[in-house]
This record gives sequence, structure tokens and C-alpha cells, in this order.
Amino acid sequence: MGVKFDLIKLICAFICVLNSVFATNELIAKDLIVKNIDRSIDVSTQLVKVTCTIQIENTGKSPVSKFLFSIEPNLKQRLSYISAQSGDSSKSPLAVQKATVQSRPDDAFWKVDLREPLGSGSSATIEIDYVLTNALSPYPTHITQKEKQLVKFIGSYYAYLPYLCAKQTTTVSMGTKNVESYSKLNPVVKSDTSVVYGPYTKVAAFSVEPMTVHYENNNPFLKISRIERTIEVSHWGNIAIEETIDLEHTGAVLKGPFSRYDFQREMQSGLSSVKSFKTVLPASATDAYYRDEIGNISTSHMRIMADSVELDLRPRFPLFGGWKTHYVLGYNVPSYEYLFNSGDNYKLKIRVLDHIFDDMVVDELITKVILPEGAENINLVTPYSMTRHPDTRHSTYLDTKGRPVITVSKRNLVENHIQALELDYVYPRILMLQEPVLVALALYALFLLVIVYVRMDFSISKDEAGESRLRVSGILDKLLVLLDKRAILYMNFDEHFAKVKTSKDVNSFNAAAKTFNQEYKNITTSIADMISKLKPDSPEASERVAEIQKLDKVLKEIYNHKQALYVDKLLPGKISRSAFVDAETGLNKKKQDAVEKINAITRALH
Amino acid sequence: MAMGIESMARYVSPINPAVFPHLTLILLGIGVFFTAWFFVYEVTSTKFTRDIFKELVIALVASIFSGFGILFLLLWVGIYV
Repeated sequence: MGVKFDLIKLICAFICVLNSVFATNELIAKDLIVKNIDRSIDVSTQLVKVTCTIQIENTGKSPVSKFLFSIEPNLKQRLSYISAQSGDSSKSPLAVQKATVQSRPDDAFWKVDLREPLGSGSSATIEIDYVLTNALSPYPTHITQKEKQLVKFIGSYYAYLPYLCAKQTTTVSMGTKNVESYSKLNPVVKSDTSVVYGPYTKVAAFSVEPMTVHYENNNPFLKISRIERTIEVSHWGNIAIEETIDLEHTGAVLKGPFSRYDFQREMQSGLSSVKSFKTVLPASATDAYYRDEIGNISTSHMRIMADSVELDLRPRFPLFGGWKTHYVLGYNVPSYEYLFNSGDNYKLKIRVLDHIFDDMVVDELITKVILPEGAENINLVTPYSMTRHPDTRHSTYLDTKGRPVITVSKRNLVENHIQALELDYVYPRILMLQEPVLVALALYALFLLVIVYVRMDFSISKDEAGESRLRVSGILDKLLVLLDKRAILYMNFDEHFAKVKTSKDVNSFNAAAKTFNQEYKNITTSIADMISKLKPDSPEASERVAEIQKLDKVLKEIYNHKQALYVDKLLPGKISRSAFVDAETGLNKKKQDAVEKINAITRALH
Repeated sequence: MAMGIESMARYVSPINPAVFPHLTLILLGIGVFFTAWFFVYEVTSTKFTRDIFKELVIALVASIFSGFGILFLLLWVGIYV
């Protein structure tokens, strides 16, 4: 018994989960009635914005937790955005979900969660807002340049609700006094810029009675037929945003010729055309560009406001009905505005769609997020349901396998869809080093190429003489270095003589003499080696170096004498001051002669 | 798996974009110096005097400094790689 009960519970839970995932199948609560509904339909722009304030009452016994909402059959396909909020002062948002009703398969329903179930006999107020696109049709459909644009809206006098409606009023505001005609169903009151229909009482569920208003509307009928928004994240501190936009004027099509002269001269010419529009960018946006296939479109202005950047964009030509344009708008924002991290975990929170112009209509939106190369574990949360396309890769500067690109798309959007997506990913910070290392490796490869190239011999015949000359100069270079070293060695030893004269420190002098002799021996043997190498190519040069060696032997002999004079005579005090000075002067003179001779030959070697 | 945004910090570049120009000039300056040294050495040395170890070391230093210098040059001009 217990097991069976658990099973039923499990199935119930499973069904609940299913319900929350898919559009739910609902039953219309017969006991729920609408006491009053105030509809306000704003048709002054290219959008139809409807606000319904609905007072509902539960006349049944059992509590009701949801309210079903529906839209007239001729307009249901046009719905772009719907939201609900409680009618009390808190205006807290209520969850809205698409739903189906089995008994009425042709109608579209939205289920509004009342949050707190409505008890028997009690009533509540909710507000539902929705926006319709492409619901206004120009009539006449074709106009000349100097004509005004007239549009027609076909709706219904009654709200299309699945419940009995006790009382309802509809206000259509057109934002203009120039109303061509409006259908009448008493009671109806026409005021300056609006028409009030109703109140109508006791309206049955699903009542439809076509209502038509025909009025002047010169507001821009601009539709973004396609926008591709690319968000490129760089971990060097920047997010680059680029929007490729296809615009179309969907108002009454221009008939006849277009006269630029009339357009410039007459105020009344081309009223419905779009000369320019304003795009609002985030306050931190910099480096904005506005261009198309030809290049920069210079007729734009950027104004930096306190909390935004306003771009006044003027297309290359005014847009009349049926005319299209295409442009690219791009800008940079710093990463700290939209990118968050904790260790290697990153979260990008950025708008799926941004403002392009007021009361905009977007037919198709494609948002692409390009993450840095090497980003993994990507997890996307969209603010509303969107189509996620397979991830692709994008290769740009300093990439190897390409950067991951996340693509989502959605059709039929309005301003209310300007909401943020959240994208989580993992990016090891060390990968940032990949880019500079890549450049360094490329350069190093270039250097290696040069190193190999200079070692290659492309000569057809072997130039023996030139080669031997080069070899001689190479050996001579090394010889000169060695000779230099030896001269420095002598000079250093001279300092030790001077030092020991005052300090009388025999031991340290002897140690210095020992190292001097050792190093001297090394260098002299190296020089001797060089001479033997030099001999085959240049016998005369080798002779000259041998001459130096000979002179050097003499010089070394003098140093040996001097050393003996110091160690054996001076330091033990076996010589008188004057005799020592004489002896040293004699040795120094001889030394000087030898050094000068060596230097003369060395100089000739250069 | 996904973390809350409250527990995360705003992400800033490990290197302040304001110093990109300075870094570019310093690193690329050093890089160009070593590159010049390398090429001068290559053209002045003969096959009897050149030293492969010296060449490799100069080339390595030149390529590392130039590599980082070029990266910061790209970032400075607005190519955010």
C-alpha cells in the first residue's frame, strides 16, 4: 500500500516537472469571473501597446491559483511580449507562461500565476501588459512623397477572455487629432486624441466584435529585419560589441518619384520618412563607429550624457516606405562592466539586445558571444526562451584553434526584450600568455631562418683566396683579443709591484705572481696555437706574431727580473734605497722599450 | 556549477590598459635594439668568426621583447586579441 502511494506521488511529481517544462494543458475555471477590465490600447507608434487592468472574482467553492489570458485570433500571431503584475501598490511581477486548452485548440493562452490562490468569494486585481508588432497596416498602402501616412488598426471591442466579463472599457489612444474614421458600438466617446469604448456589460467569454480605427500616424515605421549582435570578450580588459543591422521602412510604400528638392524645401514633404534616429549606448561605450559597405557614414553625432552615450544616426538617405538600409555599428566597453570572476570561473552578464531606436521592432535577432580562446565549460542562461545554435569557432588575430562562439537567435522582439543573458565559463588565466608567446615564437623562427641562411653557401665556384683572407682576419681578430688580454695582465701585475712596495706583504704578492704566471702561460700557449693555425694561410702574418712572441719573452724576462729584485732584495732589505731605485729604473726602461716594440707590430696587424 | 554573481568580483585586465602605450614603447624599444644587434652581427661576422650560441641568445632576447611589445602594440591600437 505504502509503496503504491509513493509510486503515485512520484508520478505526480514527474507530471509536475513535465508541466513546468512544456506548455501546459489547462482547464478554464468556470467559477472565475472578470468583474471589470480596463483596456488601454496605445497605437500612437508603430507598436500596439496594450495594458489591461483586470479585476477577477472567484465565485466558486475551491480556490483558484491561475488566471488564463488570451488574445483575439487575428492578433495572437502578432504578440511579441507579454508580462503580468499584481494590481496592488506593490506591482510585483507575476509569472506568465504559454498554455494550451484542449477544448479550444485554435486559441492562444497564457497562464498567469496568481502566487496566492484566490479563495472562494474573494477578488484580486492584476495587470497584464503586452506588445503587438506589425498589427498596424498602412491604408492606403501606397502614398506619394507629400502625402501623410494613414494606418488602420483592427482589434475587438471586447477583451478576448475565457471568462464571463461583467463590465469592460477600452481606450484607444492614437496620439493625434487627425482621425479618419473609427467604428462605433455604443456607448462610445471620442476625445481629443483617443476613443473610449464602453463600458459594456455582461460580455460572454470569447466574444469578438471587430473594432477599426483609421488615423494619421507619421511615427517611424522602422523595422529591423535582421540584427546580428556580436560580443567579443577579451581578457585584456575589453568587450567589443558590433551590431550589423538591416533596416526597413514598413510604412506606406512611396509611390511616384522622390524629389530631393521638395524634401529639403517643404516641411510637409516626406512626413512619414525617417531622416535620423537615436541609438542609446551604455555610458561606458567608447570608440563607436557607424559604417556600411562603402565606409564610414559621416552624418552621425555622438553625445556623451551622464548615464549613457547617445548616437544620432542619420542614414545616407532618408528612408521612405519600402526602402531599406544596412549598416554596422560598433563600440567598446570595459570588461569590468559586464564580466565577473572568481578564480578561473567567469560570468558574463550582458544584454542580449540593446536599444537601437525608440519603439523598435526586431524581426530577427542573432546574438553571438565570442569567448577567449581556451574557454571551457560554457553554460548559457537566456532571459527568455531563445534558439541556441551549435557552437562554432571564430579565428582572428593570434588564434590557433579558434575562439568558441555561442550563438542564439529569436524572432519578433521589442524594447521589452532588452534583458541580460548570463554566460558562465572557465578560463585558465595562464592561457593569456599564449598570445605573446605565439608572437615571440614566430619571431624566433624568423631569426633561426636568418641564422641558417647566413650559413648557406650559394657561390658557384670556390673562392680560395677570399676564403683564406677571411680565415686570416678571423684568426687575427682572436689573436688581437688575446694580445689585449695579455697586455692587461701585465698592467695588473704592475699594480701589485706598486702595492707591495708600501705594504711589504710578501705572501699576497707571491700569490698574485703565481696567478699571473699561470694566466700568462695559458694565454701564451693559445697565441702559439693561433700562430700554427695562421701559418698555412698567411706565413708573413704568422711570422710577425712570432716576432711579438719573441719580444714578449724578453718582456717576461724583464718582469721575472723585477720580481726577483723585489722578492730577493727589496723586501728582505738587502739592498740600499738608491741601488734599488737605479735597478728598477733600468728595468722599467727596458720594459718600456719592449712594450713599444710589441705595440708597433700589433698595430700593424690590424 | 554556475556561481552566483554576488560572490564574484568585477573582472579587470591583469595589466591596466592605461599603461599599454608605455609598455609597448619600452618592450618594443628593447626588442628593436636586440633585433638590430642580431642583424648587425649576422652581416658583419664571417663564417670563421660567428658564434652560434651568441646568435641564439641575442635572437631569443630580441624575440621575447618584440613578441610582448607587438602584443601590447595591438592592444594599444584597439585590436583586443
